[in-house]
Amino acid sequence: MSTAHAATLASHAQAQTATGIPNGKLGMWVFLASEVMFFTGLIGAYIVLRMGLGAGWPGHEGHLNVVVGTLNTLVLICSSTTIVLALAAAEQQAVPAVRRWLLATILLGSAFLVIKGFEYGAKFSHHILPSTNVFWSCYFALTGFHALHVLGGIIFNGWVLASTATASRWTASARRLEFAGLYWHFVDIVWIFLFPMLYLFN
Amino acid sequence: MTAGHAPSARLYWIIWGWLAGLMLLGVVLSELHVLPIAPKTIVLIVVGLSTIKAALVALYYMHLKTDRRLLAFVVAAPLLLVALALCVLFSSRLVKL
Repeated sequence: MSTAHAATLASHAQAQTATGIPNGKLGMWVFLASEVMFFTGLIGAYIVLRMGLGAGWPGHEGHLNVVVGTLNTLVLICSSTTIVLALAAAEQQAVPAVRRWLLATILLGSAFLVIKGFEYGAKFSHHILPSTNVFWSCYFALTGFHALHVLGGIIFNGWVLASTATASRWTASARRLEFAGLYWHFVDIVWIFLFPMLYLFN
Repeated sequence: MTAGHAPSARLYWIIWGWLAGLMLLGVVLSELHVLPIAPKTIVLIVVGLSTIKAALVALYYMHLKTDRRLLAFVVAAPLLLVALALCVLFSSRLVKL
């Protein structure tokens, strides 16, 4: 990256606002705060239903593979690391490294969705649907909304990756890498709680 | 990042190790029953491990540890509401109307 591009990146980082935080970044954090409440509603419904049924809670009855769930969790943790390494590379103006780490993040996110797709396929082939019982209603609602967020994150990351194609586009949109990273870490945090709730606490 | 010193790539890999290790510890405790611990206690431990992992991601990967304090307040607001919601949910187990 040229000196001019690096200077522009630095000026973005030092953007003067009333809060001292770039408006886009503050906006992303406020958006994530609203997302916390969205998933709290879903998880709260799961807790209410589970406590209400007590011993009658059906659980996954062996139809969820803990090894697959563990693998998917590991994939998402790895992707959180790769995107923060992309940000670290961006701060050092190492655009090729940014591309590599972003591509790795997108591939890991896609791997998560592929594994989740195989899991869904296995459930459907066993005639397990959201209407099967209350556990599977919760499972498909929670993992389905989470998967949609993962898909959104992959698209966001792909958009940032595309902006590294030319120096002028990257200079104008380098700041978005930090926003994409914040969103991606949030998606990871949600899964950190969903995994034990659905797979381990049977 | 808008404030503070940027963590190094080495620190990010160390955090990755903790995240993976704590996740595997939760799985081992829940699935292998290697210790004579009551199931409800295991649930509490695993939720605690998940909270530690979430805190590690927020503090180091999302840079809350080194970023401006205002962002910590933005994060604290929904977390307080989550805590309130959980208190209401679990209090229904204790209060029989």
